[in-house]
Amino acid sequence: MKITDACVYPRPSGDSSVRRMALEAHELRFDSLIAVDTPACDYAGVHVASGVVIGEIPAQDIAVRMKRHRETGTFVSVQAGDNGHNRAVLGMKGIHILCGIHRTDRYAFDHVTAKMAADNGVAIDVSLAPVIRERGVVRQRALDRYFDLMLLCRRFEFPLVISTHARSVLEMRSVREFSALASVIGLDIPDVERALSNAGRLPSPSSAVKVVQ
Amino acid sequence: MTSRPPTLREKRRYVLVRIEPAGTVPDQKELYFAVHEAVSSLWGDAAAALVHMAVVSADNEYVIVRCRRGTERELAIALTSVTVCAGQRISLRTVATSGTIESLRERIAVMRAPETAVVLPDECTIDGRRYTVSHCSGQKVDVIEKGFKNTTRFFLTREDLEDI
Repeated sequence: MKITDACVYPRPSGDSSVRRMALEAHELRFDSLIAVDTPACDYAGVHVASGVVIGEIPAQDIAVRMKRHRETGTFVSVQAGDNGHNRAVLGMKGIHILCGIHRTDRYAFDHVTAKMAADNGVAIDVSLAPVIRERGVVRQRALDRYFDLMLLCRRFEFPLVISTHARSVLEMRSVREFSALASVIGLDIPDVERALSNAGRLPSPSSAVKVVQ
Repeated sequence: MTSRPPTLREKRRYVLVRIEPAGTVPDQKELYFAVHEAVSSLWGDAAAALVHMAVVSADNEYVIVRCRRGTERELAIALTSVTVCAGQRISLRTVATSGTIESLRERIAVMRAPETAVVLPDECTIDGRRYTVSHCSGQKVDVIEKGFKNTTRFFLTREDLEDI
């Protein structure tokens, strides 16, 4: 079981190098990271997988952008939007994670999209960033969205992944802190363990066929 | 005022916390305000009153925070949501929880291993900007941009410095 932080942003998006993030992840007891816009590597015993986050753009444009990442071994995450956008995204092949659910409205992710995510094996990202960094009504809204998401997750059993969306080593959290923070949104320890290991179980990003002689 | 007999005193727990980035020396009062704000914004005023937190000591990179027994979990979760103290970006990592301050102080003494001297350049240049090496521990190297304002701290490794 590989324990993975499903989204971090090393330099140049953040202020920490990918090696430093891997070093920190090792101390925080992670086995792997998905680092956005960074080539895959191994450092300090931590596997850094390459990831890309596609913003909330029309579904046709997402398909065009996905072609660039096909057969590169990259985890593709797409920002969630309104309900129609989410249905279109969840129906596409090659998408691994749907992220940013906490920023959407209440009807953006419903029972239909939940079932589509479960059928297509697309993981839904639970970002701990709003729980850690936001205050007041923004955090309350995010928590409310996550409570609703947990309800759907228990019913339809789509895969969940947990991430910090850290842009700095200061924003990374340990596995123990992950489970403590996740308990705020109603995830118990077995759920957290499953969510942390789900990134390793996602359909592996397809990479080019290699000729072995 | 006479103190209560031991059986009538409320039981407390002490949480040992490490402050990051290394080399940060926070003001005890500012840290109290930051932690108190985190507790009350996450759990509400009623729960914050139950937690009854206080910053007992802030000694270099280690801080001891007190709470009422049974509320350690709430305090630990709130501590993870502290991101700023006195305008400076920090991160609080919970190390241990104990019933006495003394045992945590012993633990701090054990954890403060003498650092080996590392020869590193005082300055480096990244993307055409000059940076000063502010802290180095093991493989970790923190650099701060030279200048009067908008100085940025970068978190790198020794290998990153060699590659630059």
